[in-house]
Amino acid sequence: MDYYLNLINTIGIHTLLGLSAYILLLTGQLSLAQAGFFAVGAYSAAVLTVIFGWNILPAIGLAMLITGFLAFLVGFPALRVRGLMLVVATLAFGEFVRMFFYNLKWRVTHDGVEVGPDGTMGFSEIRYFAEHGWTSWEVTSLIWIFVIIVMALIWWADQTRSGAVLRAVGEDELAAGTIGIDVTVVKVAAMTAGGIIAGLAGSLYAHQITMLDHHAFTVLLATFAIAYPILGGVSNVFGTLVAVIFIQGLLVEGLRFLGDWRMLLFGALIVVVMNLKPRGLFDSQTLQWIKNVLRLRFFRRLS
Amino acid sequence: MSRRGTEKMKKFTRLASTVVLAVAVTMPLVASAADRSVKVLGWGAKSGPLKSFGVNSEAALRSAIAQINAAGGVKLGDGSSAPLEVVSYEDSACKKDQNIAILRKTASTTDAIVGMGATCSGSCQAMYGVLQKKIGDTSDSGVQMPILSDTCIRPGLAKISEWAFRNVPNEVAMYDKLFTWLRSENPDVKTFSGGTETDQGHSFITHTAIIVQAAIRHGFEWVGPSVPELGPKVKQGMKELQAAAKTQHWLMGDTSYSVQARKIKKQNPDMVLVSSHPFSACGFLKEMKRQKVKPKLLVGLTSSASQETLNGCMSAAEGLIIPTGFAPITPEAISANEIVSKAGGFLDLHSAAAWENAYLVKAAVEKAGISATADTVAEDRRKFRDALASISGIAGLIGPVTRDGVTGEASKPYVYVQVVNGEWKVIHDPRG
Amino acid sequence: MDDFWFEFVEITQSIGDGFLYGSTYALIGIGFTLIFGAMGKLNIAYAATAIAGAYSSLAIFTLFDVSLVIIFIVSAISAAILGYLVYLTCFRFIPVHNHLAALMASVGGLFFIDEVIVHATRGSPLNFPSMFSEAYFEVGPYGIRGDLLFVFVIGLISTGVLLYVLFRTRLGLATRAVAQQDVAARLCGMSIHSTNSATFAVAGLLGGIAGAMTAAAVGILSPVMMLPLTIKGLIVTVIGGLGSIPGAIIAGLFVGSFENVVMYVRGIDERDMYVVALLFIFLIFRPNGLFGKTITRD
Repeated sequence: MDYYLNLINTIGIHTLLGLSAYILLLTGQLSLAQAGFFAVGAYSAAVLTVIFGWNILPAIGLAMLITGFLAFLVGFPALRVRGLMLVVATLAFGEFVRMFFYNLKWRVTHDGVEVGPDGTMGFSEIRYFAEHGWTSWEVTSLIWIFVIIVMALIWWADQTRSGAVLRAVGEDELAAGTIGIDVTVVKVAAMTAGGIIAGLAGSLYAHQITMLDHHAFTVLLATFAIAYPILGGVSNVFGTLVAVIFIQGLLVEGLRFLGDWRMLLFGALIVVVMNLKPRGLFDSQTLQWIKNVLRLRFFRRLS
Repeated sequence: MSRRGTEKMKKFTRLASTVVLAVAVTMPLVASAADRSVKVLGWGAKSGPLKSFGVNSEAALRSAIAQINAAGGVKLGDGSSAPLEVVSYEDSACKKDQNIAILRKTASTTDAIVGMGATCSGSCQAMYGVLQKKIGDTSDSGVQMPILSDTCIRPGLAKISEWAFRNVPNEVAMYDKLFTWLRSENPDVKTFSGGTETDQGHSFITHTAIIVQAAIRHGFEWVGPSVPELGPKVKQGMKELQAAAKTQHWLMGDTSYSVQARKIKKQNPDMVLVSSHPFSACGFLKEMKRQKVKPKLLVGLTSSASQETLNGCMSAAEGLIIPTGFAPITPEAISANEIVSKAGGFLDLHSAAAWENAYLVKAAVEKAGISATADTVAEDRRKFRDALASISGIAGLIGPVTRDGVTGEASKPYVYVQVVNGEWKVIHDPRG
Repeated sequence: MDDFWFEFVEITQSIGDGFLYGSTYALIGIGFTLIFGAMGKLNIAYAATAIAGAYSSLAIFTLFDVSLVIIFIVSAISAAILGYLVYLTCFRFIPVHNHLAALMASVGGLFFIDEVIVHATRGSPLNFPSMFSEAYFEVGPYGIRGDLLFVFVIGLISTGVLLYVLFRTRLGLATRAVAQQDVAARLCGMSIHSTNSATFAVAGLLGGIAGAMTAAAVGILSPVMMLPLTIKGLIVTVIGGLGSIPGAIIAGLFVGSFENVVMYVRGIDERDMYVVALLFIFLIFRPNGLFGKTITRD
C-alpha cells in the first residue's frame, strides 16, 4: 500500500507543479521557470523544518509566500518578452536558481549531527514526516487536500469571469487590452499564483524525498512542468491531472515491467500522443464526450 | 476516417490505456517460486548516461546468486536449504523519486528481505533518509527494510539510518596509502595541482576533502594559487582550496577545458590530479595533451578505474594511476570476471561489490536464521538486518573485507592500477 | 607591469579560444533560428539530432576506417535525415497553428534520441577522432589550437554555403517565402510541407556539422553533451534575434568568447550564471535580440 500511496503522492505533487504552469499557459505565457519556483519552495520549507524546527504547515505557508513574492518580482520583467523569448528567459531563470542552490551552504548542528544545505553535496535528512511518526495515509491526505483545494480554486475561477479574463489575455493580448482588461495585472497575477502553487509543490516534494540537490531542479523538471498542461490540454484542470497520471503513473511506473525499454517508450509515446491529440489528452472534445455519457446515463435512469 | 470511426478509435484507445495502466501498476513484482526462496530485489541506473553501472551491477549480482544457488543455496532457520531469488532488477535512472518508489515498492509489495541498490550517491542519500533512523524507534515511521548498496560511494552515507549498509571502498584510506606509496617511489615529484567536476558531489568532495589533503599530508606541495593554512582541518582546507582552485574546476558535461589546462600548465606541477568521471576526465586529459602538459604523475578518481575511461581516451589517459577495489588478480576475481562477462557486464570496483554483496547476503541470511515465508517478512527483515550489522567481515574478491556494524560501512582491500599501453595494469599491490 | 601584461595575454587568449569554439554555438543557433524563422516553431530536438549525427559518423568511422573529412560529411547527412524524421514525426501532422503540441512532440523526440544513444553505447563516453589535434601554433605568447581553427573555418564555410542556398537557389527562395507569408506562398504553388521538410534537412546538415565539430573539439562524444548544447543554442538564438542568421553567428561567437573569459576570471561556479545574466541584460535592453524582427500580430 505504501508504494501506491507514494505514487499517488508523486502524482499529487506533479499535478500541483503542472497546475502552476497551467495558469501561466492560460495567459499565453509558456514558462520554464516553474522548476525554479519549485526549488525555492522546496529549500525554503526544508530549511524551516530542519534548521529552524518549524511545524510542517507554517513551513509550507511561509515557503509559499517566499516563492510567491519571488514570482511576483519575476512577473514584471517577464512582461517584456513574448513567445519563444519568454521560454528561453524563464529557462535561464530556472538555471540561475539551480546554480544558486548548487552554491548554497548553510550548515547547523542539531544533537551533534550536521544538517542543512551543503553546496553540491545537497541537503539531506529532511525527515519531518518520519521523525514525527506520520503514516503514509496521513502524508497522502495532506498532499491531496492541497491538490484538491488548488484544483477546485482553479476550476471555480475558470467558471467565473476571472477564467475568462485569463484566457482572453492568452488568446489575444491586444484585443483584451482594448476592452479594458489590465493585461499587466493579469499576467503578473498569473505569474505570482503560479509561483505560489509551485512553491507549495516544492515544499511537499522536499519532505517526500528527504534529500534535495541541484540535480533535481534541472531543465528536465521544468520541461515536465509544462509538459503536463500541454499534454493534458488547457481546456480544464483535469487535463493536467490526466497528463500527470499518464506520465508518472503509466510511463514512469507502469511500464517498469518493460525493463530498460521503458525510457525509450517514454519519448516515443509522448510524440505519439501529441500527434493523436494535439489539443491535449483531456481536451474540450473529451470533456464534451464525458458530459454526453453522463447525461445519457442520467436521463436513462430518470425515464 | 469518419467521425464515428474517430470516436470509436478514441474510446478504444482510452479503454486500452486504462486497462494497461491498471494492469501495469498493480502488477506485483513477485515472480513466485513454488518452494520457499529468499528474495532480494535489486536496482540501479539502467537508463541514462550511467546505464553501464546498472547493467554491470545487475550482471554481477545475478551471476553471483546463480553461483550460490548452484552450490546449494542458503540455509534457513529451520535447517533446510533454499535458493536466493532476485525478484527483479529495476531501473532507477539515478532519479531520487524513482529510487524511493522502487524502495517502497520492494518494502510494501514484495517479500524481499533486502533491497540492493542504488547507483548514484544522491539517490542513496534520499533512500536512506526515507528509512527508519534507529531500530526500534516506534515514533519514527520510516521504512523498515534493510538496504545493501554496492555503488554509491560518497563518504559517510550509511550512518543516515541503521537499516542502511554499503560495501564501498573507503576512499580516505585508499588515497592515504596511495600517496604514501607514491611519495616513497617518486622522490623527484614535489609539486602538485589538479581539478575536479564541481557539479558531482562525489567527485568534488573526494577531491577537495580526501585526495588533495592526503597528498599534502604526505609531503607533496600544492601549487595552485597560494592557499593560506591548508592543513589537516578538512573543512577549513576545503573552503580555501575551493576558493583558490576554482578556475581548475569544470562541470560534468563541459566540452571546453582550455582555460583549466592552461592554468595548470602555468603552474607546472610535477603531479596532476584529475578527480572526475570518465567523460570530463577524458576531456580534460585530452586538452592537457594538446597543450603539451606532461606531469610526471597523473592521479585519478576511483570511479574512473573502468572500461569507460579507456573507451573515451585511451591514449590521453596513459599513465593515469587510480586506487581501485577490483582487478582480476586473484583466482576468485578472475573466474568471477569471466562469469560476469558472459552475462553481459564488466566487473569493476562498483559491480564487484554487487557480486560480493550476494555472498554477504548469504552470510547474513545464514547467521540470522530466517523463515522465508510470506507471513514472516517483517521479522525476517529485522533478523537479517541485525545479522548483517553483526558481521565483522567476509571474503571479498581480492581479499578480506572488514565491516563496521555501527556505521554500516566496509573496509575493502585495494590495489593501484595504471593505464599502460591502453590497458589497466596493476602497478602496486598493497594487500596483506 | 609584467603581471598586467601576463593577465592581458591570458585574457585575450581565453577570448580567442572561446571565439573559435563559439562557432559551434553559432551553427546550432543558426539551426534553431532557421526552423523558427521558417515555421515559427521551436524544435527542441535539434541539438540532439546534431549529436546523433556525430554518433552515426563515429559508428561509420569505427566500422570502415574512413578519412576524417568523410566523418563530417556523414555526420551532416545523418543529422539531415534525422532532422527530416523529426519533422515528419513531430511537426508534419500537427495543426499549423498549434505551437505547443509541436514543441512537446519535439521534447519527446529529444528524450527518444537521447535514450537510443544511451542504449547503443551503454552511456559510455567514446573517443572521437579529430583533425589537426596535434597542431598547436605558437604565435608569440599565444597558442592557437589548430583543430579549433579548423572548426572555425568549417563553420565559416558552412555558413557561406547556407547563405548561398538561401539567397541564390529556388529552395532558399521557397524557404524565405514560406517564412514570410505561408498563405501567399501556397497561393503561388509552393508546397509548404516539402519546403519545411527541406528546411529541417538543411538545418540538420548544419547541425550534423556542428555536432561533429563539437565532438572533434573536445575529443569525446557522450550523451551528456546534448542538454548543455541545447540550452546554449537557445540562448544564442535569442540573443542573436529570432529568425536572424547573422544574429545567431555573432551571438554564438560572442557567447563563446564571453563564457570563456568569465571562466578565466571568475571560475567555473559563476561562469554559467554570468551567461544567464548576459541573456537577461539582452532581454531587458533589446528584447528582440541583436537583429530580431519585432514580432507582429501576423
